[in-house]
Amino acid sequence: MTTTLQKTKLPPSQHEFSEVIHRLEAGGAMIPDTPENLMQIIGIWKAYAVPMDFYWRDLLYIGERVFLEPFPFFKYFLPQEYLDLHNHYAGDDADLRVWRGEATAHPELLEFMEKGETGKIPKLLHHLWHDRVNMEFAEACMRAMLWHRNMYAPVNQFDPYLDSDEYKANADKAIKAYFKGNPLMLGIHKLFPEMFLEQCRQASYYSNLGLFWEVMAPVFFEVSDLYDEGKITTVPEAMNFLVNGIFAIAGRPIYHHAYIRGECYEIIPKSKGFTWLYEAALPYVEAVFYRTAPFRGTKSYNAQANEVPSEQKDFHYGVLYADKFPVGTAGIPPTLLMQDMLHFLPPYLKEFYAQRCRGEDDVLNQIAVTFQRSMYCVTSAVFQALRTALLYPLDDTNPKHLKANRAFFEAQIDRFCRPEYGMRDAARLRNIQTADYR
Amino acid sequence: MLSSLILLPLIGAGIVGFFPGNIAGEKLRGVALTITAGILLVTLWLAAQFDLTNSGFQFQEYLPWIPQIGLSYKLGTDGLSFPLVALSSLLTGIIIFSARINVERLSLKYALIFLVNAGVVGALLAQNLLLFIIFYELILIPLYLLIAIWGGEKREYAAMKFLIYTAVSGILILAGFLGMTWLSHSNSFDYDRISTQDLPLITQLILLSLLVIGFGIKIPLVPLHTWLPDAYVEASPAVAILLGGMVAKLGTYGLIRFCLQLFPETWALVAPGLSIIGVFSVMYGALAAISQKDLKRMVAYSSIGHMGYIVVAAAALTPLGLLGAVSQMVSHGLILAILFYLVGIIETKVGTRDLDILNGLMNPLRGLPLTSALLILGGMASSGIPGMAGFIAEFLVFQGSYSVFPWQTLLCIFASGLTAVYFVILLNRTCFGKLDNTTAYYPQVKWNEQAPAILLAIIIIFLGIQPTWLVRWTEPTTDAIVAMISTNTDRQIALNYQETNAFASDTGKMPVLRKMNLQ
Repeated sequence: MTTTLQKTKLPPSQHEFSEVIHRLEAGGAMIPDTPENLMQIIGIWKAYAVPMDFYWRDLLYIGERVFLEPFPFFKYFLPQEYLDLHNHYAGDDADLRVWRGEATAHPELLEFMEKGETGKIPKLLHHLWHDRVNMEFAEACMRAMLWHRNMYAPVNQFDPYLDSDEYKANADKAIKAYFKGNPLMLGIHKLFPEMFLEQCRQASYYSNLGLFWEVMAPVFFEVSDLYDEGKITTVPEAMNFLVNGIFAIAGRPIYHHAYIRGECYEIIPKSKGFTWLYEAALPYVEAVFYRTAPFRGTKSYNAQANEVPSEQKDFHYGVLYADKFPVGTAGIPPTLLMQDMLHFLPPYLKEFYAQRCRGEDDVLNQIAVTFQRSMYCVTSAVFQALRTALLYPLDDTNPKHLKANRAFFEAQIDRFCRPEYGMRDAARLRNIQTADYR
Repeated sequence: MLSSLILLPLIGAGIVGFFPGNIAGEKLRGVALTITAGILLVTLWLAAQFDLTNSGFQFQEYLPWIPQIGLSYKLGTDGLSFPLVALSSLLTGIIIFSARINVERLSLKYALIFLVNAGVVGALLAQNLLLFIIFYELILIPLYLLIAIWGGEKREYAAMKFLIYTAVSGILILAGFLGMTWLSHSNSFDYDRISTQDLPLITQLILLSLLVIGFGIKIPLVPLHTWLPDAYVEASPAVAILLGGMVAKLGTYGLIRFCLQLFPETWALVAPGLSIIGVFSVMYGALAAISQKDLKRMVAYSSIGHMGYIVVAAAALTPLGLLGAVSQMVSHGLILAILFYLVGIIETKVGTRDLDILNGLMNPLRGLPLTSALLILGGMASSGIPGMAGFIAEFLVFQGSYSVFPWQTLLCIFASGLTAVYFVILLNRTCFGKLDNTTAYYPQVKWNEQAPAILLAIIIIFLGIQPTWLVRWTEPTTDAIVAMISTNTDRQIALNYQETNAFASDTGKMPVLRKMNLQ
């Protein structure tokens, strides 16, 4: 209905991806709206949300408690306190109840932590046998955000603040408190004042990403529940749920508190007014969906080969560009996440994979491709949210406004068409338009 | 007992060949496998009974068949033929196990494979020249049919070429045999009754040339090789293994058994020339393989190169060289079998053999990881990396022939470097790199499809680490062959003496010499 409405208002787009742009203008997503796509997207969000429930808890634990520990041997061993930590968007005492389930750790996650793939053995043995959640992946995302700093400037105020004197003073206080009674570390801090400060910035990013995923986990849980109840039937509905979620939570504060000997040090206080949308969500999308770091297994870092861009803005190694076929191979970081999601696939998705390609044998690849599809949907939600925030409604009657919307969408899609460094060939937008990309 | 190795496959061919047409493929395969299991059991029993100290023929059987023309059914095996017989039994088992059963006229295919097996084993065991020719020719038609019916696109051309070449080979050998027998006025074609020593040198040379060209076609030596790339490439993987692993060995076996052993004096005359032809084959095979774009063609040319080593080693006529020649026959049979087998898997699963299209098969989830790993192992074994059977054989060849033909040996060593070059090209294009996301939805390789390759890989590694099991069958025989031949030049005698001496003291076979060395 809206599609025909749109077409009459503006002449067809001349863009290479005109079909996708028309779909976005009609309130759709970059990924075609088919029942199979919807099923895959929702199923993988569910599978992603459970490890994410671990990620955000552990990221906060590391940012707040492990903090500057020089030998963080046990940083992936979540204390009960953080498993019981109430998610702010689930449970009865939620700030804003997004998911109707429990606020504490998800039962499937608890079951996996207890039994894993091997059975009921002590936590340490689970860890040593690598029967665990691959927390390294979450840390890699965090480091991508840390290294690609100053994205979305000037709206993103988080990064400039990390270099401010105020932050340095706060951090210095926390560092001295953390190493109190340890003359060696204090001496090192005196000699190399930048050293622990940079570590502290990293801890701040731990906190940032943890707070970002604290929101996404309940959103994905809820959208899955709604799908199971039959309340979400199309891809645009799923995407719109995300858009609404983004706006509902956009103002949620981003902060970094360190807890040292029972005392709370506000390294980045809530009062600075950093918000979820501008200081966490948008930088995250840019850092993880678009940029990240070149995979060691696919690109040569050889400076003479000039394969890796010299400008960070040209990095194109995020999930929207990633080649998912080598997942499971050496040097391909997303393997870690695919391995994590494998444990929590909903039954309908398991069945779907079992009948395609190599069934269970290449299920990690199939998960990875589905995940890529779903992340195109999430990115579409970000486009729509940005368009709502900065531009005009889709049903605007003024052709100039509609033209502005189209220019925005085209500019976003153009990022998948740039010829430099083979970006155009890497972008998977073309592949996900058909169902035979698996 | 040796007869059973010929009779079992013949009976097998009869049983499977005349099975009612509507029988299920699985059942037919079961029957065929039972027969090959029988063949393997007999081979194992023979191996257990094989007298490792006896340098002559063992398990001999004799039946006067048509005495009027000097044809007798006389069988026997020694260290020269037994390893090849065992190799043939093993490869037949693997071929039957792995041959695709969803083809048309399966019973005919099995029957033909059994016939080829019977022919190869019969030829290896025959102690009568006419009997050898009978078995040698018996192989011809089944192989022609195997290529022509179940082969690739250009199968008719390839099969016809193979047929004509091998038929000419058979005629030349037959002519040579007839000449040897009649001119030496022997009334029997029995192997031990033939003596060419009294013939004039020029007659010997002509007869020897006939045989060398005849067997040279089968080996193949370079100017006579052009049937090989077509036949190997157009044949299905199982038939390619049959051709390269078993049938080609008849050429080198014939060269040693009939040319070297029956013309000991003249052999020394032609040996230098032969070694040059051998080196030429080795170099040509390697260089031609480098230029190929087709996986199977590359392996086919590698086969030409590797057979060349055997000729060089046989020409050198030292105990070590001859031992190396036989070891190289066995190891080449095993390595060629694993390579053709894996190329077959890749072609079935990926649907191409083109090196420009193949890529990234090492990918653990979407590629063919185990197949690729085994292919790398096979490639390394073929290019003579220590730890695998290929190195043992090649090193024996080099060590054995260097004292006689230093330049030829050095060129062979250089060519084995080139072998590594084209195998690295092959592995790089096939296994490494990344998969093409539009085409890489290959079917899985099942365990039973890989089992033969795994078995071959285990044998190749075992023989590479424990090479005694490769050479212990052959050593007494090759020592005896060289010892029996009085060579023309004083230089060669001296060299042979040195070799035997050094070798004997190494193995501790001659305690007297050893003691002398110690003092």
